[in-house]
Amino acid sequence: MKFTITRQNLHNGLAAVSASIPSKTTLPVLSNILFEAREGMVWMSGTDLDVSVRVKVPADVKEEGSLTAPGKKLQEITRELPDQPVEVSTRGDQIELSSGHSNFKFNGLPAEEFPSLPQVQFDEGWRVGGADLQRLIHHTSFAVSTEESRPILNGVLWELRDGSMRMIATNGHRLARMGVATAPSNAPSADFIVPPAALQHVQRLFKGEEELMVARNGNHLGFGSEAVEVFSRLIEGTYPNYDQVIPRDNDKVATVPKKALESAVRRMAVVASDQTHRIRLKFETDRVHLNVLTPDLGEGHDEIDVGYAGEELEIGFNANYLLEVLRYMASDEVKVTFKAPERAATVEPVAEGDESIDYLCLIMPLRLLD
Amino acid sequence: MPPRRILLVDCDAFYVQVARLTDPQGAGRAPLLIVGGSPTGRGVVTSASYEARAYGVRSAMPTAQALRLCPQATVVPVPRSACVARSREVGTVLRELAPVVQAASIDEFYLDLSGTERLFHGESLGDTADRFRREVLRRTEISVSVGGGTRRVIAKLATRRAKPAGVYVVEPGEEQAFLSTLDLADLPGVGPALVEALRKRGLVRVEDALGVQLEWFQAWLGKNRGAWLHRRIRGLDDSEVDPHEARKSISSERTFSEDITGDEDLEIRLLELSRSVAATLRRKGLRVRTVTVKLRDHDFRTRVHSRTSPEPIESDAAIHEAALTLLRELRSERRVPARLLGVGLSGLASASEGGQLGLFQEAGTGETERDRRVSHAVDALRSRFGDDAVLPGRIVDRTHRRHDPSDDEGSTHDE
Repeated sequence: MKFTITRQNLHNGLAAVSASIPSKTTLPVLSNILFEAREGMVWMSGTDLDVSVRVKVPADVKEEGSLTAPGKKLQEITRELPDQPVEVSTRGDQIELSSGHSNFKFNGLPAEEFPSLPQVQFDEGWRVGGADLQRLIHHTSFAVSTEESRPILNGVLWELRDGSMRMIATNGHRLARMGVATAPSNAPSADFIVPPAALQHVQRLFKGEEELMVARNGNHLGFGSEAVEVFSRLIEGTYPNYDQVIPRDNDKVATVPKKALESAVRRMAVVASDQTHRIRLKFETDRVHLNVLTPDLGEGHDEIDVGYAGEELEIGFNANYLLEVLRYMASDEVKVTFKAPERAATVEPVAEGDESIDYLCLIMPLRLLD
Repeated sequence: MPPRRILLVDCDAFYVQVARLTDPQGAGRAPLLIVGGSPTGRGVVTSASYEARAYGVRSAMPTAQALRLCPQATVVPVPRSACVARSREVGTVLRELAPVVQAASIDEFYLDLSGTERLFHGESLGDTADRFRREVLRRTEISVSVGGGTRRVIAKLATRRAKPAGVYVVEPGEEQAFLSTLDLADLPGVGPALVEALRKRGLVRVEDALGVQLEWFQAWLGKNRGAWLHRRIRGLDDSEVDPHEARKSISSERTFSEDITGDEDLEIRLLELSRSVAATLRRKGLRVRTVTVKLRDHDFRTRVHSRTSPEPIESDAAIHEAALTLLRELRSERRVPARLLGVGLSGLASASEGGQLGLFQEAGTGETERDRRVSHAVDALRSRFGDDAVLPGRIVDRTHRRHDPSDDEGSTHDE
């Protein structure tokens, strides 16, 4: 294999792929990036066996071929090289980089040892707008569970329908759901449970304006554009019936200035218990009181003006859950709804102008004991 | 830094004292008293009066064996709730007297008095100990012995010298001389197997072992255990008296008067045990993640299964449900007559630390809000009308059928 490539293209390709390389692995070949040079292009691939990334970069290919070579080291060297064309060549299992007077050789492993990436037929799948996908991922994936006791919640549920799609994520204590309208297609409906690591790569590697191809092959899902492909293992199982836990009868509604609430909660969080992060919100007419009392530490009180006309209600929350949800609300005001102190509360952005956003976060309260 | 001033306050034959205080006409009049088990069965001695101990009766000995040694003895059941109440009273008094108190068990309290020299106007540790001993006796009617020293292990050993109803303090600098008077078997943590292993090498007294180099202990006993023994015979112990040391587990087990063969009978016993540990759990303001069931078969084979739920639970229903699944697993593996059944709770968390409500609670733990409310309501009724105020039908049936509440023997309730 022999090709000449601009330093920038080599660096971009390596940066895109090396993020998918596991930092610790028992299989040495997984620390490597697979290079495949053919038809005037170089393909680079990396995988941790769950998620794989493949990118295509232009190069002047003089001799086709393939080899795997240590990903992180190549990336570090490329970063330090002067900005001029790099000649990459292989001899046996060694890869050589030359640029000006700089010359480096690394020991690689034969391409055959690299795991084969999932075969996905993109022309038989779905087409989704990159910007829509990015929005869904951004607004929901923070809510996935990191606990291992319920693996199904370690993934984001992605519902693809004709004319719309949704993502839902939850750790069993709080939940985020976002939906967007899509152009009608004749593609069949589908539900996937996708590990957030794969979605992070999608967020990182695809540009918003692109249209992505999405296709499934058995237990794998592929995301593809002209030059980038991301493949992910899907989480198997049935996602819990999230729709059932979204309250429909929350009769108490508060309209809250987001920034003011966020700052007040952040202040309360300082005094809240390190274990529970418990804070207490008391809603009364046009006002919410925030209280925190942590034995052995101290207490805090704050209040902000809100729009609220319902019955007085006191409810406890984990301050971190509340802050997290508020962070993803893009509007100046949020709508918070309740039913009772031990029932789910919802937080939604308040639409500005005619733009309505299908975004809902749900937080389960902390029981107040006194 | 001045030497630490540690006391161990240990209630003298605690269960015996409480049994006598609770039943002054019966147990109170029997000098030879055994608490725990029954004369007919295979229960075990929880505690014996000093008079009975003179006959060779020891705790954890089968009651039947104890009665062969001391046939005149009176046997009474463990007055469990009275013991818990008295223990709490002793703890309350000690907390008023000392700055740092750690309840090490139902009848042992470690006190750290370091830095109190000026507070107590230069009173010697021995005088302080005696003052505390008299104060506890005056206010709780419980006689205690107090050992003192510069470390926990020294205080513990001194307490044995103090018993009964006395005080023994090992002065700073006298630790090694004190330890040298002891046998290796006296040291906490040195069990029969280790004693035997050391005896084979000619080591019986602490004094004998002091000349042995660390490397030899490590070669004989392994690296960690050898290093531990090397420190222990020198009385080295850095452990703190920690009043907040978290409770690690709650368990309750029963040895049956006759082996139980039927699954249904076992399941009723399991219901009683799981209700009992669940009630203790809630009384302590705790919740639990791991439930363990222990089953000892008639041939003394002991088997244990446990299960951890994703969220902490606290209700009778959820704890019993988890225990029942475990018992059924154990029984399906080996269905033979059972001698002992136990339920343990570990992975405890304060209920006030938890309280996070879940979206899919039912799927995760099997505990619903309703289960919790029912348990708290039952607790409230029991605290007003007694422990038997509310019982599940299956337990009521059993009590009526047998008319013999003492048919369980050798029950231990470790809090």
